[in-house]
Amino acid sequence: MMNSTIQTNIARLQIMKAKVLAALRKGENYELKTELNSEYKERRKEAVRRVIANMTVGKDVSSLFTDVLKNMHTDDLEIKKLIYLYLINYAKTQPDLVILAINTFVKDAEDTNPLIRALAIRTMGCLHVQEVLDYLCDPLHKCLKDTNPYVRKTAVMCVAKVYDLSVDVAEDNGFVESVREALSDSNSMVVSNAVSALVEMNDMSRHHDVWRLEANTVGKLLTAINECIEWGQIAILETLVDYTPRDEKEAENICERLLPRLQHANGSVVLTTVRLLLKYEKHVHRADLLAQFSKKMVPPLITLLSSDPEIQYVALRNINIILQRHPKLLSKEIRVFFCRYNDPIYVKYEKLDVLVRICSERNTEPLLNELKEYAKEVDMDFVSRAVQAISRLAIRYETAAENAIKVLLELLETRANHIVQSCMVALQDILRRYPRRFDSLVDGLCEYVDDVNEPEARAALIWILGEYSESVSNISNILTSFLESFLEEEDSGVQLALINAAVKFFLKSPQQGQTLVLKALQTATEKCANPDVRDRAYIYWRLLSADPNAARAVALAEKPAIELENVDLSPQLLEELVNELGCVSSVLQKPARLFVYSLAEKAGVPRDSGISAMGLDDADSVAAGAGDAAGSSSAGIDASNEGEPELLISF
Amino acid sequence: MTVDSLFILNTSGTSVIQKHWCDDVSIRRASLVVVPAFTKYLRSFAAMHDAEPVWSAPLDTVCIHIQRKELVYLGIVSQEIPPLEVLELLEGVDQALTEYIGLLSEVTIKENFTTVYQLLSEMVDSGCAVTTDTSVLRGLVPVPSLVNRVIENVSGIGIGTEKRPDVNTSSTPWRAQGIRHTNNEFFVDIVEKIDAIVNSNGSVVSYDVSGDIGCKSRLSGMPDLLLALNRPEVMDDVAFHPCVRINKWENEGVIGFVPPDGQFKLASFHVATDASPRILPIYVHATTTRQELARTIELSAEVGQCGGRPIEKVQVRVPLPSQAYNIRVQCKAGTYTVSNGRTSQVEWFMKTLKAGDRSSRLVIQYFVRQSAVTNAVAGNSSPQAVSSDQDMAQEAFVDFEVAGYSVSSIKVDSLKLMRESYKLFKGVRYITKAGSFQVRF
Repeated sequence: MMNSTIQTNIARLQIMKAKVLAALRKGENYELKTELNSEYKERRKEAVRRVIANMTVGKDVSSLFTDVLKNMHTDDLEIKKLIYLYLINYAKTQPDLVILAINTFVKDAEDTNPLIRALAIRTMGCLHVQEVLDYLCDPLHKCLKDTNPYVRKTAVMCVAKVYDLSVDVAEDNGFVESVREALSDSNSMVVSNAVSALVEMNDMSRHHDVWRLEANTVGKLLTAINECIEWGQIAILETLVDYTPRDEKEAENICERLLPRLQHANGSVVLTTVRLLLKYEKHVHRADLLAQFSKKMVPPLITLLSSDPEIQYVALRNINIILQRHPKLLSKEIRVFFCRYNDPIYVKYEKLDVLVRICSERNTEPLLNELKEYAKEVDMDFVSRAVQAISRLAIRYETAAENAIKVLLELLETRANHIVQSCMVALQDILRRYPRRFDSLVDGLCEYVDDVNEPEARAALIWILGEYSESVSNISNILTSFLESFLEEEDSGVQLALINAAVKFFLKSPQQGQTLVLKALQTATEKCANPDVRDRAYIYWRLLSADPNAARAVALAEKPAIELENVDLSPQLLEELVNELGCVSSVLQKPARLFVYSLAEKAGVPRDSGISAMGLDDADSVAAGAGDAAGSSSAGIDASNEGEPELLISF
Repeated sequence: MTVDSLFILNTSGTSVIQKHWCDDVSIRRASLVVVPAFTKYLRSFAAMHDAEPVWSAPLDTVCIHIQRKELVYLGIVSQEIPPLEVLELLEGVDQALTEYIGLLSEVTIKENFTTVYQLLSEMVDSGCAVTTDTSVLRGLVPVPSLVNRVIENVSGIGIGTEKRPDVNTSSTPWRAQGIRHTNNEFFVDIVEKIDAIVNSNGSVVSYDVSGDIGCKSRLSGMPDLLLALNRPEVMDDVAFHPCVRINKWENEGVIGFVPPDGQFKLASFHVATDASPRILPIYVHATTTRQELARTIELSAEVGQCGGRPIEKVQVRVPLPSQAYNIRVQCKAGTYTVSNGRTSQVEWFMKTLKAGDRSSRLVIQYFVRQSAVTNAVAGNSSPQAVSSDQDMAQEAFVDFEVAGYSVSSIKVDSLKLMRESYKLFKGVRYITKAGSFQVRF
């Protein structure tokens, strides 16, 4: 009883609170209305500020439209700007009322102060209302021919907005033509804005025929670029991406004129320039020039790595792509990519990828030591990637194998759970790559039998034990103890590895292994629920009973050396991403048509399904050496087991 | 159009301010779907700064963001554009707002939102970045100041009407016509930063020197300056302020420019790796010992090579592992603080460190929580073999400053004034600092 009364009371209170708040809010608008009509200028100004403040936090202040409008006629620039912001916000919902403001706009567009002229023309464009178009044309004509470049550059951008509203109005009034002419303007800011406007209109137009970059314009733009501020430079550089030089001479010339852009403080300017150089260098054949381009590209790329982490990330993703085109480009700079403790994790991952990619045979040692340090960090995912990188280095460079194993054994000694798991998998890969070279260390690994508690690591250790059973002193005991928990094993990969290991052990030392292999095959065939495991056991059983020699040829066959799985992008995708270097697609490493809606429709790509079709490799699986991976030793089987093709599946 | 929408969010993902350059549908999509999804994405990270800055968001959009202090700047993009452009823009917004408002927070932004709005509409036009240069912006949007407000309120005259900002459209957009100063002064600061990782045995794992040439100009008229350095060839990758004539630098190795008024960064450079011997101005040694559950770290700091100058503002920060508790510090020189957050850290400060200071040592002792150790030992037959590095502090971050010393030995040879005939007072300072300076144990 008590409870329910309290609850009703609370509910009542809440309703009252809501009512009071609503009244207050209404009251606030009412109060603002009075203030907006105050006879004191300062109070009106403060009221306008508060109206805009309310607007930005989402309160409805549209009822004050006419009162706000009354204040528009002022020579206080701040108030004017704020009221214009208000108009832009409510123009679409109240287009009829905006017409009331038109007179002021038209008047402002002829003000003596160029700032106000520009502001008026920009705002009229931003209103984005059909009703305004008719009133906009005259002022726009005047502003496009204004003596002040700040006004001209604003007017040029306004044309794109008009074009968006009505192509006909923009074309018929010659606005588009005026923008084309603005490309030859004496002021570089106007030129770069004209470029932006043309590109934008081109994108909007149905046939993309508003503008095409011609050779003579390229020259003009490259001259203008020297005087532009960074954002103008970016606009111009980006349009050059779509230009194909007519001949080698022109390509050389463009590249030479682009080189100074590499020295800009803005990372986007630098990266877009690199993108252009990579694009145009395909047309250049002079070796000295190409070498010069490469040399000049390196320092600015390195500098990007001392910027903020966000910029580093984008730089690293792109460096990863550039390296697939120019593998040697950064090989001397390996230390720059060493991870710092306080790097965000996404920067660390990218650095790790680049490190393994650019490491040459000469500097495996410092890198291995570095990776050892990473493996001691707290983030478990990073640790396992670092350990994986160690095995990748060992697989790639034979000279690094011994060192890598030394590092891995040291790491194992820490006995930290997640380190042990990753190290075991890494060791398996290396042992698989260099068979019979590191027999002596296998016995020592048995010490970690109780530490491997992740399926992949356990399968790895069992594989090593089976492969090197003759080097392990108490192999029989270890395998038996694994076998005891065979049925509790959740992962079929471990079960398969165990059967394989038992068979190998038996074939190598039949007397010791007999009981073990029988027990393994029996348990697997009779009690195991997994059909794959059962089938594998049956096959072995029959093979062993029918022809032990054939079994030997199969189970103990020499395996082909594993190689690093290709972590590169497919050539086709790489080409696409190099062309889009520095863009969203190169950072996400998938082509634009998969995430830009309009492009997707154009290309007719089934959404989201194209990724695998494009050959995007799963970068996570690095070494193909998952032990007895399916099909990897088919060569050895073919030789001795004709007529039993089904065996192919099991090794 | 580069960005569709720009949001400034607080760290819990609530929008503080937003601005859009797209149609109504996209605005609604952005604020109703994309931003909430983005907030969820940020929260999915244990440490928010680990969220990737470019994220493929729902509804064919891409969220590009930076995190600065208490704020998240988010740009929403739906086109194939360079993310760096957005990142640089967001960075520029942060810098401009900081210069206009000072300390940025949700509160200060809301207090100054009219300024923020005006700035955003000058910085970005129809989704394209137009300018982020604060010297240009200052001409377009008045800087809010307490004084301005007071004058306005008292006199009833807006500053905006008295001193109407004017656009500068000269060939030097960074410098207005007719600047006058009673004393003509020009100061150059060469600040070099050492980024290094030093191993426990004192070997240098990575080493990198980069520098900035900062200037403060109080010169009248249209001065044209020529700055010559003693070893321009050492500067590997130079990025200049737009006022510098790049061709002159390429051909003659001198920096020619018409300076903006006030403070600005003339150039930033990187010192060629083969040109710089790996000089460490400070050596920090650490010895670690473990005894059952106790862990001890002994730190000592010593002056390295820095032209015999004292090292100032030394700060050594040691993050401790999460298992650490009961932290005790003994300090022979300077002061220290212990902060206990999710993970604890010890910070050690010394105002100055002189050559031959023997007593600069710090001893940190802490205990490791029992549970952490037993977990590590679980299933381990030989407990004495437990040497997991996880419960030992791994490294220290060192911060310091050496005034009057240039680690790359880059010096200003001469600074010449042309086009103007007045006498100019010049000043040059050199500072070497720690960038990211890390010592591993």
